[in-house]
Amino acid sequence: MTGTSTVSASQVSIGTELPQLRIEVTPTFVISTALATRDFQDVHHDRDLAQQRGSKDIFLNILTDTGLVQRFVTDWAGPEALVRSVNIRLGVPCYAHDTLTFSGRVAERVEVDGEQRFVIEVSGQSSLGEHVAGTVQIALPEVTT
Amino acid sequence: MTLAGKAAIAGIGATEFSKDSGRSELRLACEAVRGALDDAGLAPSDVDGMVTFTMDANAEIAVARELGVGELSFFSRVHYGGGAAAATVQQAAMAVATGAADVVVAYRAFNERSGQRFGQVSSAAAQQVNSSGVDNSFHYPAGIATPAATVAMAAQRYLYEYGATTEDFGRVAVVDRKHAATNPNAWFHGKPISLDDHQASRWIAEPLRLLDCCQETDGGIALVITSAERAKDLPHTPVQVAAAAQGSGTGQYVMTSYYRDELAALPEMSVVGRQLWEQSGLSHSDVDVAVLYDHFTPYVLLQLEELGFCGRGEAKDFIAGDTLELHGKLPLNPHGGQLGEAYLHGMNGIAEGVRQVRGSAANQVPGARNVLVTAGTGVPTSGLVLGDYG
Amino acid sequence: MTGTMDSDIAATVHEKAERIAAGGGSKPRPARDPVNTAMINNWVEAMGDDNPVYTDPEFAASSVHGGLVAPPAMAQVWTMNGLHGQRAEDDPLGAMMAALDEAGFTSVVATNSEQTYHRYLSPGEHVSASTELDGVVGPKRTALGEGFFVTTRTSWLVGDEVVAEMTFKVLKFRPAGSDDGTAGDAGAAPWQGPSGRVVDASERAAGVLRPVISADTEFFWAGTRVGELRIQRWGDTLRHPPGPVDPGGSMEATPDYVVAAGHGTVYSYVVHHNPPVPGKQLPFVVALVELDEGVRVLGELIDADPGEVSIGMPVRAVFLRVDEELTLPAWEVAR
Repeated sequence: MTGTSTVSASQVSIGTELPQLRIEVTPTFVISTALATRDFQDVHHDRDLAQQRGSKDIFLNILTDTGLVQRFVTDWAGPEALVRSVNIRLGVPCYAHDTLTFSGRVAERVEVDGEQRFVIEVSGQSSLGEHVAGTVQIALPEVTT
Repeated sequence: MTLAGKAAIAGIGATEFSKDSGRSELRLACEAVRGALDDAGLAPSDVDGMVTFTMDANAEIAVARELGVGELSFFSRVHYGGGAAAATVQQAAMAVATGAADVVVAYRAFNERSGQRFGQVSSAAAQQVNSSGVDNSFHYPAGIATPAATVAMAAQRYLYEYGATTEDFGRVAVVDRKHAATNPNAWFHGKPISLDDHQASRWIAEPLRLLDCCQETDGGIALVITSAERAKDLPHTPVQVAAAAQGSGTGQYVMTSYYRDELAALPEMSVVGRQLWEQSGLSHSDVDVAVLYDHFTPYVLLQLEELGFCGRGEAKDFIAGDTLELHGKLPLNPHGGQLGEAYLHGMNGIAEGVRQVRGSAANQVPGARNVLVTAGTGVPTSGLVLGDYG
Repeated sequence: MTGTMDSDIAATVHEKAERIAAGGGSKPRPARDPVNTAMINNWVEAMGDDNPVYTDPEFAASSVHGGLVAPPAMAQVWTMNGLHGQRAEDDPLGAMMAALDEAGFTSVVATNSEQTYHRYLSPGEHVSASTELDGVVGPKRTALGEGFFVTTRTSWLVGDEVVAEMTFKVLKFRPAGSDDGTAGDAGAAPWQGPSGRVVDASERAAGVLRPVISADTEFFWAGTRVGELRIQRWGDTLRHPPGPVDPGGSMEATPDYVVAAGHGTVYSYVVHHNPPVPGKQLPFVVALVELDEGVRVLGELIDADPGEVSIGMPVRAVFLRVDEELTLPAWEVAR
């Protein structure tokens, strides 16, 4: 839940752990996110073709990973946190019927172009291992809004 | 009761050592046994016991049948590859000492170059359906599938732990080949090598080079063992079995004892050594000639340590200079060993021990009285102390 | 390990990469639609993102944005080619993929996506995208096979203003074990097991000596098939290789196993040069690894330069799937 209040910079300390986010990766979830990101590759919606190509099942697409990583961070930080970058490294596939669990922590505070930002480290684990890992840079208001 | 001095080796026999014998392994075995009996001044009909390696392809009854040995009252085989060599003599000595047999022949014969080559990958070893096959399942499929590779794993750790270099391995090869060069029966007669030759030879399984590995040989060797009493009536100086022992270590595997605290060690040889000194009443300092099993050079260094000639990791210093030469402190493998003379699974080393005690070796060490002979390393093994004690 | 690449092939790939890179960025390609609330709504519904700045006009108006904005992570969505879309003819990623296909590197896997958002977009704005080839690195030996890492940079523009950028990296590879590069997909796709990656080795390990499996060791080989390095446990004592009797001596005890994390260091190793070994390509490295859990386990150390291997080097488990029955435990250098 994003809620309506945004965490202020003064409330954040390095090492703060983000609340975990669990996503039940149903086939519906894989397909609806693939189509919502306009990714029509068959491995994201057609299990028969995905299996013919050597995959166990349909699996999440990369644009969805980026979206979920962003959501994971703003669910915690609040609606007015400004997302400045999402850098992800891709690991094992996340197949339908798996559960994807995001965890993260505030790794450091940096100044970019005169703006104070926090770097959030994020990891998304599925039953097969780390599906996605990366960092998100956000700017937060100085006072609670 | 002790075995010390109860039995003696009264005869030795061998075929020529070649790369292609042109005849069956059974024929080689029979020639070697016949040669050993002739050497002992005995007839086939005198034999009532036979011992060989589990790995030998020639059944005792086949050899007996071919040579007209007749009835046998004792026959036995010893397992674990070259680790069996000295143990065949131990078996024979025990049979003689207990009266199970009067005259026992120990033999080993194979076409190891023109036939099945041990240095190649043996799928039969990998796929034997028994506990050894299960042991091998953790090694062969991973790619540790040749004897050289199994030794290389321990050798690499040895280099790391003790600061030795592959030149230290090479020094063993150089001394073996130096001795072979002056042994007319050696395959490498007249062909010594230098340390540079060793260092320039191609990799087999790093850190082992080609010249760290023994040769491949077609041939046969046989030994005649009888009681020390009876041996006195035979033509040659009786070569007494002053001690004979087998050894297997804690956590023992065949060539892949990789899970013990110390990888760069051969504790099974320490088990052998302790018994040899105890049985014979001798110690390592009494040894005049060492015939140490040398299928791969690193394990010669480890044997020197396990048998007490030097401390752990000190073999490289112990062998410096002329220690291992004929006039040195511990003459090593005067026949040239299995790197220089022939690879007969350690049995040619026992024959050399006999010649040294008799005083008839090609490279005779003057006054050799106590000769230590060891069997295959990396496997459950065995050893002998041979001597002339009147 | 795959065979050594013909240096001519590598040279050709780099030559083409230089030519494509020299062509600069593709002509900006406009999105099908302007930034719009319908697609935003579809996206946030699917993602489960209920941030009101994307969907609640009232909240958004009073927020730092002063009105509705699109999720930054949608930047790329606006310019996706869509269901019947085709790559632009001047798209350098497409050209580079074609060049690598031609050279036999037929499989592709994305490895990194790095997006930077210079500002939020509002409904009604129309973005276009331009992509250029940033670089081609290789050939590299990877667990998937030998291949090239291809990096592209995409800029999203509103008019002349760059509003977002992406660096995107893919590995374009020749599946391990395929000599001619015509194998297409690398059999089963690699996946992460609990102790390490499981990679297809149906080609590279053809003819491998198969393990003799007993009732005491069956659990170990069942584990490798699912990416688990299972270490037998008797009470608190771990033991490898496994066996039927408690090292503590109890004949009543029964074992279970732990699944190793798959991390360890090289305790010793061999670089095997001769003779040939079935299922291996010369030379190859075999490492005896001391696991963090404290036991030693043997396996091939794949994709390692023999000259770089040393005792103490950190490695991690990888599983070589030979076929349905057999998956071999192995190692790769931990980087």
